[in-house]
Amino acid sequence: MRPGPGGCCCRRPLRANGCVANGEVRNGYVRSSAAAAAAAGQIHHVTQNGGLYKRPFNEAFEETPMLVAVLTYVGYGVLTLFGYLRDFLRHWRIEKCHHATERKEQQDFVSLYQDFENFYTRNLYMRIRDNWNRPICSVPGARVDIMERQSHDYNWSFKYTGNVIKGVINMGSYNYLGFARNTGACQEAAAKVLEEYGVGVCSTRQEIGNLDKHEELEKLVASFLGVEAAMAYGMGFATNSMNIPALVGKGCLILSDELNHASLVLGARLSGATIRIFKHNNMQSLEKLLKDAIVYGQPRTRRPWKKILILVEGIYSMEGSIVRLPEVIALKKKYKAYLYLDEAHSIGALGPSGRGVVDYFGLDPEDVDVMMGTFTKSFGASGGYIGGKKELIDYLRTHSHSAVYATSLSAPVVEQIVTSMKCIMGQDGTTLGKQCIQQLAENTRYFRRRLKEMGFIIYGNEDSPVVPLMLYMPAKIGAFGREMLKRNIGVVVVGFPATPIIESRARFCLSAAHTKEILDTALKEIDEVGDLLQLKYSRHRLVPLLDRPFDETTYEETED
Amino acid sequence: MNIGVAHSEVNPNTRIMIRRGLWLTYALGVGLLYIILLSIPFFGVPVAWTLTNVIPNLGMYVFLHAVKGTPFETPDQGKARLLTHWEQLDYGVQFTSSRKFFTISPIILYFLASFYTKYDPTHFILNTASLQSVLIPKMPQLHGDRAFGINKY
Repeated sequence: MRPGPGGCCCRRPLRANGCVANGEVRNGYVRSSAAAAAAAGQIHHVTQNGGLYKRPFNEAFEETPMLVAVLTYVGYGVLTLFGYLRDFLRHWRIEKCHHATERKEQQDFVSLYQDFENFYTRNLYMRIRDNWNRPICSVPGARVDIMERQSHDYNWSFKYTGNVIKGVINMGSYNYLGFARNTGACQEAAAKVLEEYGVGVCSTRQEIGNLDKHEELEKLVASFLGVEAAMAYGMGFATNSMNIPALVGKGCLILSDELNHASLVLGARLSGATIRIFKHNNMQSLEKLLKDAIVYGQPRTRRPWKKILILVEGIYSMEGSIVRLPEVIALKKKYKAYLYLDEAHSIGALGPSGRGVVDYFGLDPEDVDVMMGTFTKSFGASGGYIGGKKELIDYLRTHSHSAVYATSLSAPVVEQIVTSMKCIMGQDGTTLGKQCIQQLAENTRYFRRRLKEMGFIIYGNEDSPVVPLMLYMPAKIGAFGREMLKRNIGVVVVGFPATPIIESRARFCLSAAHTKEILDTALKEIDEVGDLLQLKYSRHRLVPLLDRPFDETTYEETED
Repeated sequence: MNIGVAHSEVNPNTRIMIRRGLWLTYALGVGLLYIILLSIPFFGVPVAWTLTNVIPNLGMYVFLHAVKGTPFETPDQGKARLLTHWEQLDYGVQFTSSRKFFTISPIILYFLASFYTKYDPTHFILNTASLQSVLIPKMPQLHGDRAFGINKY
């Protein structure tokens, strides 16, 4: 089925969730049962959307086993009941109250905070708080040194024992290409620039903080991405939250993915535009919202929207999924909306030449109106950038809050970005960049394959270097983090409210700095801990995202 | 864990009742309670059924209709602080599937309890009172209402 110039609009009869019944083909979705796949009986979904996708798109999110879901709720129920009990004991002074309370003199005043809003923090989070905010004391490369802490009052306060746990395998840093180093070409170049320019810039870009280094960086970023111009900012979060308000305002519509990052959500809210949320990576949901927006216009006046901006990310760091960029671009062209792509995790990490998700799908960077990304993940620096047409960047130079009010990037950081970017592009004369990209891709495939074979539930796309391993139960969050640290591996565990309540997970971030030996050690330990904590939930029934029950009825906060 | 992240789902309390497995957990919990009550030697079957009706209803009343606000900070500047969990469900949209489930399940328990207590007057009064306490707050007309100003702030 050839898509017309409009793209991937489906004219076949659909079920409620947009899939045709088993056996038919819809836009190239072919269900073949396991002929070429590894295990028999495994449904292997491959999308080849009539030429939109030039490579197979393998994304799967296994459904939570029912027993695990029930046990998770029971776990949270027990924790809630105990939380109430402890609150009762604390209130009647039977137990010592460690957290801040109002002074006796102020007890008749209207309270500043509601006690109940802190319930989750003090009763659930505090119990496993030692898994987060662990202080590290070395460069976060493939191995990192962690300062040992102890708590004698159940995590209300920590004391340093004085030991340093050395050589912890670092599975949590966003060090995708291994540029988090304190030796090597990047460090030497940055040190030289530090001697010349110093550390502080002491001004904003608009005033007297516009260094020649910044201009060099922006030209380099523009050529790296394949866009006309780019602009760099001091902080990745601030890039999103300060630039989206400059692009859209009241009377515009923002269509944002369900699982967008806090910076995108904040930027969208600050802008004052109407926000509508579509199901994660679900193109039917997005198309429905686009159609409704264009047909019905603004809520009461029915006037057409001034702008429609679609906010998506390249790789979603909590799910490990990659955006369906070819379909999004096809939809955007059909309905004449604008696309804002946040490549925080995917720039440098995806694509044969490391140029992000646009490169990964083999698309034209000019199709994406605003390409945003950060330098914190793959480049080992800090800051963010926005790339696009020259008029857009010129407009942002004068209208963006970050450009006008925020201090610009520091010169050694800029040099780190420039050196690492040249290395990735191959412009420094070595093949180090290419090797790193290939190493990362190999590590990703290997790690994911081994974990799936072991029987864990792993979310996300096969090519994404972010690997979420599902834990589900609240106690296992703490247990997993602590057990892994005992075995000298540092992982990041995430729970509610950053994830849905039953889907807590451990998130591994792979790096080109990880050698196969490191990965094998890590895998062996994960295997052991998985057996100990009974984390191997997978029944090998993979369900791709499109078949997730797409509930047509979404209730959202009504905004007037 | 980031407490209070700016998430697309502003108030997770609104969606929790429809998550996979919650209804089953509730049903299993009630079943377990019944079995435990039945195994206490001096409770007869009628008393066990009445208690199986009353105790979950009491729990439901406390957690869905008495406790207000959210146990975590939400990024909407506390719009839901004065709302009970029932009022927060689905952002106030009525007749959704989670609301239907939690309205119907006490009624089913009531039927079962009435049958097994052989319509005895004392048990009847207890069961009916318990059912009323849990059904009346769920009525859409009483959304946001605080009778006699009880539990208003």
